[in-house]
Amino acid sequence: MPRANRSAGILRRHGGALGLMIVLALLPFLFGLLEGASPLAVWNNQAGASKFYEGLLIEVFILAVYAISYDLVLGITGLLSFGHAMFFALGAYLTGILLKSFGLPLWATLLAVVGAGVLNALLFSVVLPRVKGITFALVTLGFAAVFNIVIQSHELSDWAGGDVGLQNVPIPTWLSPSDERLRFYFIALVFLFAVYWFYQRFVDSPTGRVCVAIRENEERARVLGYPTFYFKIVALTVASVTAGLAGALHTLYQPIVSPTIAGLGFTVAALLMILIGGIGTLTGALLGAAVYRLVDFFLLRFTGSSSSFLIGLIYIAIVLFVPYGIVGTWRLRNVEWRTVWQERLAQWFGIKESPQDLAPPTTEQPPD
Amino acid sequence: MTPYNRHSMNNLLEVLDVHTSIGQFHILEGVTVNVPRGSITALLGRNGAGKTTTLKTIMGLTPPRRGQVLFDGQPIHAQHTFDIAAQGIGFVPDYRAIFRDLTVAENLQIAERKAGDLARKGELIFQLFPDLKRLIHLRGNQLSGGQQQMLAIARALVADNQLLLIDEPSEGLAPIIVEQLMEAIVQLSAATTIVLVEQNFAVASQLAKHYVILEEGRSVRNGLMTDLVHDHATIQRYLGVM
Amino acid sequence: MRRNWLGLRQTVNRNRTQVAILAGVTLLLLFALGGMSGGDWVITVLRGLAVGAVVFLVAAGFSLIFGLMDVLNLAHGALFMIGSYVGWTVYVRPDTAIDVITPLLLLAAGFGWMPLWQALLARVHLTSGVRRAAPWAGLALALALFAFSATRYPIAAWNPDVYDASPIVYAIAMDSGQEVIAQAPQVDGVTAALSMAGILVAGSLAAASVALVGHGQERRARRGEMRRAFTLGLALALSGVAVYALNEPLTRLIFELNTTWRFLIAVAAAVASGFFLGGLMEMTLIRPLYLRPIYQLMLTLGLAVMIREVVITIWGRPQITMPKPALFAGTGTGCPAQNLDDLLAHQCSTISFLGTRIRTYNEIFIIVVGLIVLIAIWLLLQRTRIGMIIRAGVQDRQMVEALGINVRRVFTFVFALGVGLATLGGVLAGPALGISDDMGESLLLLALIALAIGGLTSYPGAAVGAVLVGLLQQFIIKYGQVGIQLPFMTEPLKPSPPLVPASAVLLMVVVLLLLPNGLFGRKE
Repeated sequence: MPRANRSAGILRRHGGALGLMIVLALLPFLFGLLEGASPLAVWNNQAGASKFYEGLLIEVFILAVYAISYDLVLGITGLLSFGHAMFFALGAYLTGILLKSFGLPLWATLLAVVGAGVLNALLFSVVLPRVKGITFALVTLGFAAVFNIVIQSHELSDWAGGDVGLQNVPIPTWLSPSDERLRFYFIALVFLFAVYWFYQRFVDSPTGRVCVAIRENEERARVLGYPTFYFKIVALTVASVTAGLAGALHTLYQPIVSPTIAGLGFTVAALLMILIGGIGTLTGALLGAAVYRLVDFFLLRFTGSSSSFLIGLIYIAIVLFVPYGIVGTWRLRNVEWRTVWQERLAQWFGIKESPQDLAPPTTEQPPD
Repeated sequence: MTPYNRHSMNNLLEVLDVHTSIGQFHILEGVTVNVPRGSITALLGRNGAGKTTTLKTIMGLTPPRRGQVLFDGQPIHAQHTFDIAAQGIGFVPDYRAIFRDLTVAENLQIAERKAGDLARKGELIFQLFPDLKRLIHLRGNQLSGGQQQMLAIARALVADNQLLLIDEPSEGLAPIIVEQLMEAIVQLSAATTIVLVEQNFAVASQLAKHYVILEEGRSVRNGLMTDLVHDHATIQRYLGVM
Repeated sequence: MRRNWLGLRQTVNRNRTQVAILAGVTLLLLFALGGMSGGDWVITVLRGLAVGAVVFLVAAGFSLIFGLMDVLNLAHGALFMIGSYVGWTVYVRPDTAIDVITPLLLLAAGFGWMPLWQALLARVHLTSGVRRAAPWAGLALALALFAFSATRYPIAAWNPDVYDASPIVYAIAMDSGQEVIAQAPQVDGVTAALSMAGILVAGSLAAASVALVGHGQERRARRGEMRRAFTLGLALALSGVAVYALNEPLTRLIFELNTTWRFLIAVAAAVASGFFLGGLMEMTLIRPLYLRPIYQLMLTLGLAVMIREVVITIWGRPQITMPKPALFAGTGTGCPAQNLDDLLAHQCSTISFLGTRIRTYNEIFIIVVGLIVLIAIWLLLQRTRIGMIIRAGVQDRQMVEALGINVRRVFTFVFALGVGLATLGGVLAGPALGISDDMGESLLLLALIALAIGGLTSYPGAAVGAVLVGLLQQFIIKYGQVGIQLPFMTEPLKPSPPLVPASAVLLMVVVLLLLPNGLFGRKE
């Protein structure tokens, strides 16, 4: 009985996500049908619109993982880091270099990426006791800038390819993004939802709650007896490892690594994605990544070179007028809508609302 | 309690059933303070009762969510801080808020609202606080605590203020300096109305003519100080002294 | 005399860290003298100071803005870049610049009448739905009308996509003294008048839409204020028409001027545009977000991206050059100058010193301007009432307001001033460092490093940090050419050029970790 209850609870909590995952899994076949290609053709990775959109969605999934990891740092824990691109780029470059120059097998490469992610998070954490707020942002910006410069430097060009970036990374044939794209698509999809599920669990766990408390008021969390430093390390490590794995996937899919992913612009992209979706909501990061990539794609297609200008304009409009993003605004509206209607119903029918109904759903407010 | 819908010309400042929140915390939940002209009114209460927030609400630094603030009969609670101050209210906050990078002279000059304010008030200021004249070229961060407090009060005197809000002037100062400050405040009250927040009941009872007691964000008692000093039960209950 | 000396000793005692670090830097500089010839050393120091001066111009404005209003303006580098491009345009293509003045003045006239639109709209009762939608509709309409009218107004433009008509070619032509006045498209008087009217209406419509956003919240403008606004707008519009009427003689006049004068005009135009842009930015974009600092950060980031795109669209992607003004470009008889008299007589581009040539613009003029600005801003801060308010406001804004001072108005001024300084840096850097679309980003990084070293809100800190960053950068470049002979190494170590920015960044990280508040920052 409790077991059944629990699985029902999981279904209720994650039903939406599961449904979305099934829809996304069927989407390539749907694209195929729209174009007149049979599901079998899609299954066999025949060239066509379906394959093209699979590619676009793979990019969305990778960006979504990257965005959600930034949301954990900035939105949940409240650490203003301007070096997040380094987490992603380290994973991407390490994957490329280990596969290309050292010929390591894929599993060993991914293991190394995880290890490097932990070390990278520790590097960022070392400065935490000394610097806070904007100074932390500057120090992380500095780390990422040094990484960006070093990775493009002449000294490392044999491995990292200088300012051109890594070209022709050898990908195992069973995972080839051109020949086995549908398989790659499913792997990216499963990876995304695994990360999402893990992040939801993490934020709901006692550790995650302390992270939220740190964002709200670090001093209070410390007075309550939590060693906030260690919780920040945990959050940074989780974010660093996931972003590194997203970077690895990026290299496997592309299979080139361009230095732009190590620049400040790529951190700004993450900021933009979680801002579109709603800071501190996790779900918003996924939505934001999708909107960001798709808007970018269609703008580039229809307006050409002025697309980044339009993206900047959209970005500023969001900051000024929709500060809580899509998910945040929706949740706020939802609360308002529910309370308004409960009051009306109470008026019309004389219903006494139970206190439980009145409790608003948990809305995470963005920092500040 | 005082009925708060009737404006009395006798009061320079009226805070009427003010509610103020900072962030999600409700700090004031119904504060009413009447400040009669030409005397000192003391705000009393324990730590966290809302005394400082009341002063900040008057200044518009933490605008009220509900209620009214009338200065000379005119509502000021919806105005900007600088507009409120410009009508003739001087503020001496509890953290003294001396400009550390400015010299004593500049700290006074910056408070000028009309050209020549300082020239006119200089004599009064240096008569009240002769020390400042000696320190005039030192920077704010080179002054001692007592000197900073004197400067903070002096700064509020530069412009023509009808009302002074003074927050915890005696906090953390040596008794001899407290005495000097008390003397200055008494002298000032001859020409200016003063609202004084004071933890030290001995000091407050000597200076103030009226009192208002705050408790958990509400004003709970008010009256004449001469009555309060004999009301040991009230003092015991709300101030926890004696 | 004696008291002063005692004061100095007190200062030294209180700032032991700073003094120690400055002494260390001086020692390192002297030590470097051993590794290279005297001339090389002098030229490297001068180059370092020049880079420091440019970085200082950006960093000073940035730190004033951050100190007073806690806005980390990440668009500051992009605005620096705007200064370069605006200066370049006025300098190299004054004909285009004059053509552009008329539409800009007409647009500004519409916004100058803002109080009138506010008063007019206050009489109209609008439902909340209309009030929400109307500004957007109005802005879109204004944008369309402006695009339609402005493209029909005659502007002698270039085309970055066509090499022969690109900014690069115009710059080369000017440098070789073969410039021609570009032909504006021939337009008859009626079309020009209609397009001017269209721009004026578009500006008014946009201003009215903006006024509608704050509908009902703004206090009513007084009658005198409205009359002043009306006169201002009318004056702007009329001067716009006057510039149109006098377009040709004005253009001819500017082309006949010596390039030194043209350069001065370009500097003035760049500073004015920065001042204006900064004020506008504070009033429209930054002001609504004072209660949400992180959003300000994001907004300025987005703005930086947008400005860069605008610059690429108008001026194209490749690096363009900006010829040096005549005063610093002489190469004829008597050059390179041997002494100061020669220099002034022949206006040489270089001067001989200890066996090397020092470029007068790059290595002397920029430093001198940097010094003048350093002193001017210091005087502004120390000797004027507004400077006093700024210094007080950096420490405690609320207390300044509680004294009855409207700090918000000072905010607008400081923002405008800060951006004006950045654009001044941009136009000065143009002839020395070249102009490209990524100059803003790299300079912002250098300025951030300088401020992190000097302390984010300290004015002397900005100056010292900028000079340190400039010197460090130039010495590493120099050592990259010469090589450092380290003990226990047979080959001299030659750092490669990309490591230059990396070393500056590393310096910032180290300083931040040792002194989280920078050298001159205050512990809060």
